Amino acid sequence: MSALDRAAGRNPWIDRLGWAALTLAALVMVAPLLWTVGLSLKANGELLRDTASVFRGPYTLENYGSILARPAAFRWLANSLLVSLCTTAGVLALSSLAGYGFARLKFPGRKWLFALVLFGLAVPEQSVIITRHQLFSALHLHNTYPGLILPGLAAPFGVFLMTQYFKAIPVELDEAAMLDGASRRQVFWKVLLPLTLPAQATLGIFTFLSSWNDYWWPLISATRSEMFTLTVGVASSQINFAQTSGLGFLMAQAVFASAPILVVYVFFQKYIVRAVSGAAVR
Amino acid sequence: MARVRLDHLGKSFGATAVLDDVSLDIASGEFIAFLGPSGCGKSTLLRMIAGLETVETGQIHIGDRRVDALAPGDRGVAMVFQHYALYPHMTIFENMAFGLRNAKVPKAEIETRVADAARILEIERFLQQKPGQLSGGQRQRVAIGRAIVKKPDLFLFDEPLSNLDAALRMRTRLELAQLRRRVQATMILVTHDQVEAMTLADRIVVMSDRRIQQVGTPMEIYARPANRFVATFVGSPPMSFLDATLGEGAGGLARATLAGGAAVDTEVPLAALPAGAGWRLGLRAEAVKVVAPGAGLVDAKVEFVERLGDRTLVYLRLADGSAITAEDAGTSRAAMGDAVGLALDGPVHLFDADDRAHYGPLA
Repeated sequence: MSALDRAAGRNPWIDRLGWAALTLAALVMVAPLLWTVGLSLKANGELLRDTASVFRGPYTLENYGSILARPAAFRWLANSLLVSLCTTAGVLALSSLAGYGFARLKFPGRKWLFALVLFGLAVPEQSVIITRHQLFSALHLHNTYPGLILPGLAAPFGVFLMTQYFKAIPVELDEAAMLDGASRRQVFWKVLLPLTLPAQATLGIFTFLSSWNDYWWPLISATRSEMFTLTVGVASSQINFAQTSGLGFLMAQAVFASAPILVVYVFFQKYIVRAVSGAAVR
Repeated sequence: MARVRLDHLGKSFGATAVLDDVSLDIASGEFIAFLGPSGCGKSTLLRMIAGLETVETGQIHIGDRRVDALAPGDRGVAMVFQHYALYPHMTIFENMAFGLRNAKVPKAEIETRVADAARILEIERFLQQKPGQLSGGQRQRVAIGRAIVKKPDLFLFDEPLSNLDAALRMRTRLELAQLRRRVQATMILVTHDQVEAMTLADRIVVMSDRRIQQVGTPMEIYARPANRFVATFVGSPPMSFLDATLGEGAGGLARATLAGGAAVDTEVPLAALPAGAGWRLGLRAEAVKVVAPGAGLVDAKVEFVERLGDRTLVYLRLADGSAITAEDAGTSRAAMGDAVGLALDGPVHLFDADDRAHYGPLA
C-alpha cells in the first residue's frame, strides 16, 4: 500500500485535494498552449483592440491561410525536419559506435578519452560559440546544412548514455555470438545494437526535441532566410516588437512550428515518459 | 568428435599468473571435467580452448588442427555458458539458428537441425518464444540446443548447472549424461561441484593453484588421490588427517604410529618411501567407525553429529587435539559430548611432508 493509498484510506478529502491541485497544475501547464491556439484563430485587427476577444467568436482560419500563402514557412519546416532528423540519426550512430568502443574495446588511453567526453558535458555552448562561429566561417559552413547539423553531432551525453548501456549488457552475449561464428561487426549489429533500442529511443527523442527547439546556433549560422529553421523563421516574422499588429498570425506560426513536435509526443508518449523517468536506462 | 591436445599452456592477467604449464591429452569422444575451487584457473583454461582468452604460451590442438590462433567461431567448438547467454531479442528458434546462419548453412537444413535438437531437448513448443518467457531450466535446454545444432567437434560446458535449483540440477545432470550418449562429441565440463564431475565425466582433471593436480577416472581420483589437496577437495566430507610416524610392519610394509601410540598397517612397502618425518595418515569418513570406548584403535570425544538420514557423520576430537570424521549408521546413537572409540574399516592413505600421497602397487 502506497503512502497515497493510506492517506486516501484515512481521509478522502486529502485525496480530493490532491486531485484538485493536480487539475490546477494541469490547467496552468496547458493554459499558454490554449492561449496560443485561441489567438491564432482570431483576426489580427480584432486582437489589436482587445486580446480578451479570444474568449468569444468569431473565429477564423485566415492566419493559417496566410502561412500557406507564404512558401518560406514550408521551407523552414523542411529545414527543421532535415536538420533535426540528420542530427538525430548522426547522434544515434556516433554515440552507439563510441559507446560500444568505450564499453567493449580495450585500447590505450581509453579511460582518459572517456573522461574527456564526460568533460564535454560540463562545457556550456555559450563558452565555445565564438570560436565555433569563427571556425565555421573560415570553413564556409555558415548558411549550409552541414553548418546547422555538425555542432549537434558532438553529443557527450549520448556517448555517455550508450557507454553505460553497452556496459550493462553481459559480455557473455558477445562471447556466445563469437562462438556462433559472428564477426565483431555482426556481434555489434545483430546482437548488441538491437538490445540498446530502449536507450536509442530515449536518446533519439531527446536529441530530436533539442535539435528542433534549438534557436541560438541556427540564429547565428543561418543568416539567409532560405536556410532558417522554424524557430529562427518564426522569430524573424515578428512584425514589430510588441506584436500589436500581427499577433494572430504570429501565434498561428507558433502552432504550425510546434505541430510536428506534438505529433512526436503523441506517437512516442510512452517512450518519452520512460525516458524522463529514467526507466529506459535500466 | 576430435582429440584435444593442450601443450604447456600458460596464462597470466597482468602480474597475476592464472595458468602455469598445463598439458593434457583428451581422447576423441571423451567426457572430461575440470574440477577445482574458484580461482584455480579451470574457467580460464576452458575459455582459452574456446578462443575467448588468448594463449600466452603453449599450443592447443583440436583434431589435427592447431587452433590457438583461430577465431572462436572457426574452432569447431560450441559452448554452454553458466548464465545461458541466450540472445534476449531473438526467438528460441533464432537463438538456435544464429550460428548456423553465420556459417551459411542452407535454410532447409537449419530448420531440420533445429527441429531435431528441439525434439531431443523437448523444447519444441517454445521455438517461437523469447528467452525471457522461459524458466531457468528451459533456458538451459535452449542453451544446450544452441550448442547441439552446430554439431561441433568439441562441447564446452562452463558450470552449466550452477544456476539451477537442487532438484532441477539433478534432473539436468541426468539429461546431460543421456545427451552425451546421443551426441557423438568430445566434451569438457568446468565445475566446482565434485558430484557433477564424478557422475558425468570419464576422467576428472583436478585443478588448484594454476596447475593440474591430478588426472584420472572418478574412482581413481577418489580412491587414490595424488596429494592432500585432491584428497580434501574430492569426497564429502573431506578426508581427515592424523600425524603419524613410520616404522616397519609385517611383510616390509610401512606401519604408521599415531600420537596416542596406536599403530595402523598400510599397504605401502616401507622401502619405497622416502626417508623423513612429517607423515600423515589420511582417512575417509566411511573408513572410520564409531565403537565403544576402549574397543577401538583410539578413543575420542564426539564434537558434533550430522544426521543425513541414511547415514550419520560424527565429528570427533582425539586426545592430542586432532580432528577426525567418522561415518555411522543412520540410526546412530552418538551424541555430542559422548566418549567413543574409533575403529578402522577401509583403506588408509599415506601423505609425506610435501603432501604427496604414496600407494602400494595396484592389486
